[in-house]
Amino acid sequence: MTIVKNNKIVINANNLTKSFGEIIAVNNISFEIHEGEIVGILGPNGAGKTTTLRLLTGVFKLEGNAKVEIYGLDLSKNLTKCKSKFGIVPEVSNAYSDYTVEQNLIFSGRIYGLSKEVIQARSEELLKRFELTGKRKSKTKTLSKGLKQRLNLCLALLHDPPILILDEPTSGLDPFSVKILRDQILKLKRENKTILMSTHDMIEAQTICDRILIMNRGKIIADEHPDTLRKDFNPSLTISFKIEGEISKDLMNEMQNYFTNIKIQEDDSFKITTQDVLEDLHRLYNFVRQRNLEVLDMKLKETSLEEVFINLVKSDLNGEVTKK
Amino acid sequence: MNKISLVKIWALSKKNIQLYIKKGPVLIFGLMFPFFMVLSWVLGREISPYQVFVGIISMTAFFTSTAISPVVLPIETREKSLERLLSAPISIQNILLGIIIASTLYSLIITSIITLSFTIIFWIPFSSIWAIILLYFGIFLMAILGSLLGVLVAAKPADMTSEIMLLINLIKFPLVFISGIFIPLGNLPFFAILLSFISPITFLTDLSRYCVYGTSYFPFLIDILILMGWIFILFLLNLFFHKKTMPKRLSTS
Repeated sequence: MTIVKNNKIVINANNLTKSFGEIIAVNNISFEIHEGEIVGILGPNGAGKTTTLRLLTGVFKLEGNAKVEIYGLDLSKNLTKCKSKFGIVPEVSNAYSDYTVEQNLIFSGRIYGLSKEVIQARSEELLKRFELTGKRKSKTKTLSKGLKQRLNLCLALLHDPPILILDEPTSGLDPFSVKILRDQILKLKRENKTILMSTHDMIEAQTICDRILIMNRGKIIADEHPDTLRKDFNPSLTISFKIEGEISKDLMNEMQNYFTNIKIQEDDSFKITTQDVLEDLHRLYNFVRQRNLEVLDMKLKETSLEEVFINLVKSDLNGEVTKK
Repeated sequence: MNKISLVKIWALSKKNIQLYIKKGPVLIFGLMFPFFMVLSWVLGREISPYQVFVGIISMTAFFTSTAISPVVLPIETREKSLERLLSAPISIQNILLGIIIASTLYSLIITSIITLSFTIIFWIPFSSIWAIILLYFGIFLMAILGSLLGVLVAAKPADMTSEIMLLINLIKFPLVFISGIFIPLGNLPFFAILLSFISPITFLTDLSRYCVYGTSYFPFLIDILILMGWIFILFLLNLFFHKKTMPKRLSTS
């Protein structure tokens, strides 16, 4: 179920294609992004995520019959106007390392055409929000990676853009910085910002995103809500448990005959993959009761997004992806 | 070009001056190199102070104007800050103008100080205020021309400053040696005169000679028009090549 605050289309991308010589980085993809959505782009390295973001933000020129509309404005014809709608946070800090935090903010404000007064007021607000007030006079090169990424968010938000583009924003950060950034992203969502982020982090995608686009080899191979993705692409659950006492070879054989999808783990626990959890739980109950066995540590686990992602990419490589 | 565009271009120029003026290649090729070149030219030789004055001005204007302009783009490609600029609401022309203005100002300031200092040291008898204005106008044109040449060489989408500096030096030194800096055009053999026409420095040197001596090989207006022609051609070449190569800076990074 996709959580969409309203149906206003913020980004409408059609037939995006980008080649670098022989290599097709993005291969004729189309999608829409609605206002207030957080959309995650997942994909292995070289899938075309960053190139897609660069096409959307006008950094790369559109090729062929590609068309991008930002709030209904044609990107190719209104490049400057459309670029002002975006705030971009790169994976690696691209703030000027020899400038102080404050100088970076002033420079960024000037190239977005903000007045001195607006830059001053917005800078104060953002430095406070991202806990960087004490670092305003520090040179950017002296900041830690986490602080640099917070500065990047300040720079991206300075001109108060309605759309935020985050390119692997938490990559390589310590857990504390990751938490601060994730909290801020969710806060921005509450402020009705539309957020498009590429990430390798499945937990991040699962917990933050309203919608996920999975890309592989320049194509979108899935476009769903994280929960829908898990249900649609791998609806199975796993029941893991341990049996008290020593397990004889006969019992093991008997279990393998009784449950077709059972696996024995390294720690002697069992894992049943099931499509019908109630039925298999019932069978397990009967099995242990008839043999007077005692079940310990029983856990029920849904398929993770990571498993869905790996399966989808593998299937795409084998030409087996059937659902989009 | 509206007011907002001018503010953006000035912000870019200011940033380029603040961040790149103290970079190693700028100091070495913009200040140290012309200094030692002049020193090796004049030491132990009997050259008239006026000829030295003209040579110093031409070399300083050319070397300082080609010092900042080639280093900005490779450094910003390497440090990824170029992507920040390309994703901001500014055009490639604005980015290039930001570099050209910074480089021109740097060259103008340094060359003006040198000109003023050597005017006093050599007690150059300018015939009129008009000659001084004309000299500064020539320096101004060379500052723009050199800046454009530096930015043009940096159209190669490299992220290593050394790669671009090597390339610009391969162009700069022949241009200096074939120009009429070291030997006045009138004293050169015919083929050398023809060769010197390739170098824009020839025309600044000739113009400076007119301002100091009152005579020159070409009429001063021709010198000015040729320098302006160079500026026009280099500007168009810059727009053409940078539009082509700018996206490649990101695809390789």
